[in-house]
Amino acid sequence: MSKMNMNLYSRGDKTFVMVNMVLIGLFTIAALYPFIYVAALSFSSGFAATAGTVVLTPVDATIAAYERVLTAPEFWHSYMNTMFYTIAGTLMSLLIVIPGAYALSRPQLVGRRFWNLMVAFTMWFHAGMIPFWLNMRDLGLLDSYFGIIIGFAVNAFNIILLRNFFESIPSSFAEAARMDGANEFQILWKVFVPLSKPAIATITLFCIVARWNGFFWAMILLTDDSKIPLQVYLRHTIAELSDDEEFAATLLSAAYSVETVTAAIIVCSIIPVLLVYPWVQKYFNKGILLGGVKE
Amino acid sequence: MNNSVQQPNVALKSIVKRYGDVEVVRGIDLEIADKEFVVLVGPSGCGKSTTLRMIAGLEEISDGELYIEDRKVNLVAPKDRDVAMVFQNYALYPHLNVAGNIAFGLNIRKVPKDEINRLVTEVAEILGLTPYLERRPADLSGGQRQRVAMGRAIVRHPKVFLFDEPLSNLDAKLRTQMRAEIKRLHKRLGVTSVYVTHDQVEAMTLADRIVVMADGRIEQVGTPMELFNNPVNTFVASFMGSPPMNQLDAVVESNAEGSFAMFGGQKIALPELEELQGADGRKVVVGVRPEHVFIEPTEDSSPIKVELDLIETLGSEALLHTHVGDTPFVVKAETHGDIDHLSSIDTIYIPTRRVKVFDGETQMAYGFVKAEG
Ligand SMILES: Nc1ncnc2c1ncn2[C@@H]1O[C@H](COP(=O)(O)OP(=O)(O)OP(=O)(O)O)[C@@H](O)[C@H]1O
Ligand SMILES: [Mg+2]
Repeated sequence: MSKMNMNLYSRGDKTFVMVNMVLIGLFTIAALYPFIYVAALSFSSGFAATAGTVVLTPVDATIAAYERVLTAPEFWHSYMNTMFYTIAGTLMSLLIVIPGAYALSRPQLVGRRFWNLMVAFTMWFHAGMIPFWLNMRDLGLLDSYFGIIIGFAVNAFNIILLRNFFESIPSSFAEAARMDGANEFQILWKVFVPLSKPAIATITLFCIVARWNGFFWAMILLTDDSKIPLQVYLRHTIAELSDDEEFAATLLSAAYSVETVTAAIIVCSIIPVLLVYPWVQKYFNKGILLGGVKE
Repeated sequence: MNNSVQQPNVALKSIVKRYGDVEVVRGIDLEIADKEFVVLVGPSGCGKSTTLRMIAGLEEISDGELYIEDRKVNLVAPKDRDVAMVFQNYALYPHLNVAGNIAFGLNIRKVPKDEINRLVTEVAEILGLTPYLERRPADLSGGQRQRVAMGRAIVRHPKVFLFDEPLSNLDAKLRTQMRAEIKRLHKRLGVTSVYVTHDQVEAMTLADRIVVMADGRIEQVGTPMELFNNPVNTFVASFMGSPPMNQLDAVVESNAEGSFAMFGGQKIALPELEELQGADGRKVVVGVRPEHVFIEPTEDSSPIKVELDLIETLGSEALLHTHVGDTPFVVKAETHGDIDHLSSIDTIYIPTRRVKVFDGETQMAYGFVKAEG
């Protein structure tokens, strides 16, 4: 429906469409403005940023903030850490979530209802922060790359999402593959996974975004600065610059300020997610089952 | 019943399927010969698919024994039974093209690449799929998808083909065409086949032998003509043939001329049957096929008064929907290109030798001759 013929709509329908467009427009602006503001801020002078004169476009355009950010080795180090947490963490998640969801979707799974209930249970009830931290400590997972990756690999919501998708695949696919000689692993990887590309793309994106933005637990669990991700580094930088009295004294003349450096780090951290999204979206094509079965 | 054959390729011995306490297949005995085409028919829910799926290994067998080429396979996995199945909804892998779909099972079995190519080419040739090998299932017509589903089955050269209503998703014309194609394929490949349908025309045209099932049991097994001419009971009689056999409730009366079926003040002369001796007053069901009725007097026939309700014209033939008392009675008559002479019919003639008699209580056929295997 690329072109709507508005003549075919009643007056009420037209009003409805108009109101919708206005609302969507407002939401779009509300969502987009912070991006534009942060981008403009990152290219503004420290003085302008502190004075609060930046609205839409950079004021006294400069790349000083970026120089400050990109020349800090800690920035690159934390960037690499985030990359690692994101890629390894997402792979680990998929490796656990896909077979887990498949098993939970199989009618022949012994105690299937019970296991499904146990998975769903974790969505509603948590032990709480401190028990979790104690648990991680006792497992020796504090301050470790592996702790961050394995500790947050499984997300019940993703499992249930994928399980439901698997359940909606007609049973004759699995049966046909079984007749063709496939074992359960082959049925999963050669039939179910290709059939579930849209669902898997969705949870992959969820994982990537959650990992990339992961801040809180990384801050709590990691004390070694060489292991922190970008988001924690960002916080460190803000704290560092704010506490730096020498820097504060030169503030009026500085080419960058806490605000512009923060904005520059945020821009740098957003870019990869923006780049990944279209690539993942390619797999959001519905109707992949089309033609395989006849209803 | 002739459920046994000389050299069975597949043998079912007292096969039972239970879901919890419910028995849906209640003891099936059947032997299927090598290269034979057996069709399972029966009303919806009678256990046809379940039986087929037990042969495939997709359902566990609750009781009884299943043999494929003298090997008991009750506990053998589907992939090791050397059977292939064509599903009602095709179940083609949408992410693979036609060649990929046909080759899927071979790839799983690690058949060498050259061999796969050769087999796929050969199968595509047989099924007329060569121009479509690169296409995805979504870009095929219904009949082409059906052929791909069959290609996937035949490429492995299995010992047994299983079909579960493979044509039910096609429109009438395509169905007729694919039916002929399946027949041709079977002639060419000669693989033992078990075919489930509830279309009795499909059953009649495809089968070497038909197995009529009802309520989890086998009612009768026989060649299409045996079932048509010699139904074991009223159920089979009403199931085979279209339109089905007319059935009239009647009471037996005998005199010096022979036995008659009396109903509503009319009578039909019955053939000489052992069971009718001294059967005066017994309730019976009289069965007459629509195509065996005459609309003009003939030798050895009983005239019956009927009331004509409507004439359904089929072209060279017409169906006269009539009733006798409260019982509907259908007659198939030649039109000779004109139905005017049919519209005034009030008497039909039932040839004695064509009349089937069933017991009023047990519904079993009188004078049933067990056919030779
Ligand atoms: N998983 C199951 N649990 C319980 N009952 C079942 C199950 N599968 C099938 N049945 C029952 O078994 C009976 C036979 O089913 P089946 O599918 O074999 O029938 P069918 O003869 O193939 O019918 P149709 O012509 O409609 O396909 C039906 O009454 C059905 O309700
Ligand atoms: Mg069925």
